[in-house]
Amino acid sequence: MERYARGDEAAFGELYDAIAPRLLGFLRRATRDAFVAEDLMQLTLLHMHRARGSFIPGAPVLPWAFAIARRLMTDHARRRRVEQRLFSEALPDDDRIAYEPAAPTAAADDVLHARRLEVRLQQRIDALPELQQTAYRLLQQEGLSLKSAAEALGTSVTAVKLRAHRAYVALRAALREAGEPS
Amino acid sequence: MRAELRTRVLAAAAAEPSPTRATVRRRNMLIGMVAAASGLGAFVIFAMLMSDSHLLRLGGEVVPQQRLERPAWLVAATVGGALGVAVTAVWLALGRGRSMLGRSPRWLLYGGVLIPVSLLVWKVSCSLAFGDAMVAWPERPGERCLALSLLVAAGPLVSMMAIRRHAPVHPALNGAVIGFAAGACAWVAVDLWCPVAYVPHVLFGHVLPLFVLAGTGALFGRTLLSPRRR
Repeated sequence: MERYARGDEAAFGELYDAIAPRLLGFLRRATRDAFVAEDLMQLTLLHMHRARGSFIPGAPVLPWAFAIARRLMTDHARRRRVEQRLFSEALPDDDRIAYEPAAPTAAADDVLHARRLEVRLQQRIDALPELQQTAYRLLQQEGLSLKSAAEALGTSVTAVKLRAHRAYVALRAALREAGEPS
Repeated sequence: MRAELRTRVLAAAAAEPSPTRATVRRRNMLIGMVAAASGLGAFVIFAMLMSDSHLLRLGGEVVPQQRLERPAWLVAATVGGALGVAVTAVWLALGRGRSMLGRSPRWLLYGGVLIPVSLLVWKVSCSLAFGDAMVAWPERPGERCLALSLLVAAGPLVSMMAIRRHAPVHPALNGAVIGFAAGACAWVAVDLWCPVAYVPHVLFGHVLPLFVLAGTGALFGRTLLSPRRR
């Protein structure tokens, strides 16, 4: 990023290779829509490209990228809610698993059970308040440090710990409900 | 990761030229000069229209047949203190420390509280040492000081928004602190021009515009500083 801020145009490709996979993973998990995730990732990188001239030498890049991505995601979600309100309510596609035919073998039962559990956990993650959800994703799924996650969320390390803790509690409860050891 | 996506993103970036650090530095210096010129210009025009080109006013008639003078040292003390607060406020509003995400919300909140409080406390405490300045001026409720503050601060507010440009975290709070900083800069000019230190006047004419500017800054910040899908 430092080289790119100084005017080395080729450095943008390297920047892309370094952060795009993590950004895309984060956005895919958060939006659960590959096309939207790609679109938001492109926008995030374009925002970084536009702001390259104001890059502070030595500043961490990843928290900045995640903060932009999160802001764009929130903006996208808000727009989508408005659009849904204006037009028709989209039919929710949950409980898809419930209609799948039961598999006859034990191994298939395990797979089905794992998928149901995954869906239940995903639903529980989606139901968390946005701040807890993002704190959990940045720490557990993106592997950011507490300090970087706090920076990306614009809050203190203590607040991130608290949000992540609340998310863990909710997920443990979901596992207990499913009869799994938490 | 699809190669096609990579190509698309790199092509989109290449199609949209963005300024390098050297360009941004030059642009910010130019914007800073325009901000200073616009503030100074607004101050001079206002003084020409309202007080026969007197930029520095050392007194006036409290009521007919009662004149009050404020000594030069009092002006120097209040203006000097206000200038110190204004410089600190601009540093707080535009500086981002060592992070691209700017200062922590705690620092911004401290700034939002301390900028108006320190300006008010400094003005009142300096004026208390010269008791006459604290007397009530019934004919000057402060509407002209309010107008002067807003006029002088408008240019710096817009300029500081243009310099900051980008705040992915707490854009409204960052905008509010920029508003306070612009107001603190205007306070220096108002302090030169206005000899009144009567507290209700100062609250209405000098402190209220700080909050008006902070509110405007918060609105600007939310819409202009936050990354959005445009």
